[in-house]
Amino acid sequence: MHFDLSILLPHLGFLARGAELTAAACALSLVGSVVMGALVAIARTSASSTLRRIAFIYVDLFRNVPFIVQLFFFYYGLPELGIYIDAFTTGVVALSIAGGAYASDTIRAGILAIDQGIIDAAEVSGLSRRKIFTRIVLPIALRTSVRPLGSVLINMILTSSILSTITLNELTGSAQIVVSQTYRPFEVYVVLLCAYAALTYLVSLAVTLLHRHLNRDMMEAVG
Amino acid sequence: MLKVENVRKAFSEVTVLDGVDLTIAPGEVVSILGSSGSGKSTLIRCINGLERLNAGRITVDDFDVSKPKELAEARKRSGTVFQLFNLYPHMSVLQNITLAPIEVLKTPRPEAEAIARKLLESVGLADRADAYPAQLSGGQRQRVGICRALAMQPRYLLLDEVTSALDPEMTAEVLAILAKLAAQGTTMLFVTHEIEFAREISDRIVFLDKGRLVVDLPTDRFFAADGGRAQPRVAQFLSRMRKD
Repeated sequence: MHFDLSILLPHLGFLARGAELTAAACALSLVGSVVMGALVAIARTSASSTLRRIAFIYVDLFRNVPFIVQLFFFYYGLPELGIYIDAFTTGVVALSIAGGAYASDTIRAGILAIDQGIIDAAEVSGLSRRKIFTRIVLPIALRTSVRPLGSVLINMILTSSILSTITLNELTGSAQIVVSQTYRPFEVYVVLLCAYAALTYLVSLAVTLLHRHLNRDMMEAVG
Repeated sequence: MLKVENVRKAFSEVTVLDGVDLTIAPGEVVSILGSSGSGKSTLIRCINGLERLNAGRITVDDFDVSKPKELAEARKRSGTVFQLFNLYPHMSVLQNITLAPIEVLKTPRPEAEAIARKLLESVGLADRADAYPAQLSGGQRQRVGICRALAMQPRYLLLDEVTSALDPEMTAEVLAILAKLAAQGTTMLFVTHEIEFAREISDRIVFLDKGRLVVDLPTDRFFAADGGRAQPRVAQFLSRMRKD
């Protein structure tokens, strides 16, 4: 065989739309999993033992079941109960729930690492519990957890390829369609490899920049 | 008036405060002395509501710190400066000082910042407003800690071993500021190991021993041979501190 990328030219637009869908699903799931992760982290560090238990079961459950099974359950299982959700929404919800289970661990570690004295200072200054969480606890926790959170996110981008199994033509789904039309799997999957690598590289770059920004005070610290 | 009435505080089996009574009138500077573990810091933490009392009552201008509804008002009236500064690491010096005035007192930001800058100027840190805590020396951090407490315009300033984590030079720079505040009539409750300094600025000195307040005397009487020194525990404490 000879390697000829030009045969993909007519399909580039289609693949680009797939990439867009992947990017959109990942962006929404990123927000979803950070919100879920933060809520679960709050629950796991809360004073209520019931909340802690529920959060623990959630994290344990969704980390110990293959993602594809969770996805099939939401997409093919729930309609049996009369719950119909479209493929894109199902994908975002499933990724957010699964990602949230992992994200909660990194955020929780960040929360636990905060010096209690800092929270004492915020409390005596009269700030409400909500303000203490949003202005003090979460931003400080993110300083330490942004890097591990980044690898959770990158994992989520990779996992999003599984959404192709529920009829969603994101990047991987579109690629499979192009393969079936062109019979050129080598070229198609070379492009796919590069596309995912580029996507995750961009994300890790963004995470590094964000980490640097959140910890900017440390960069020029005096000895 | 800040009133501590018959306060008892225990951590599981260990009684840390055992029937403490203390009253501080506006304008007074009261120092709390006592060896480590005598309950000094716990008393401060009870006054600002960080610890729950097992018995007794603490009121700040008649607001009871044990009642959740009154705690917020009580906290607005007192400001705390901590031994380990406890600055918010992710915020600039200016944000550290203005956060509570903006969020709690609802002071408009420009006004809060103007107050903060004035406070920073008064402690010699006017040019460090945009620095982060990690970029400051210990003494500078504690001066910011003092500004943060003062920005809430508290009626009572609670100082919990504020120089214990500092070297002598930095201690001197922080004490100079406290002396200035005392001279301006700021009401202060000052937990410290700096006996000489306490002697200079305090109206009264109280001595805690194993959770009991054993002496509460005007400063000159506290150091008199027939005053505080007549108490064996106080005499022992003072002579030991001298050797250091």
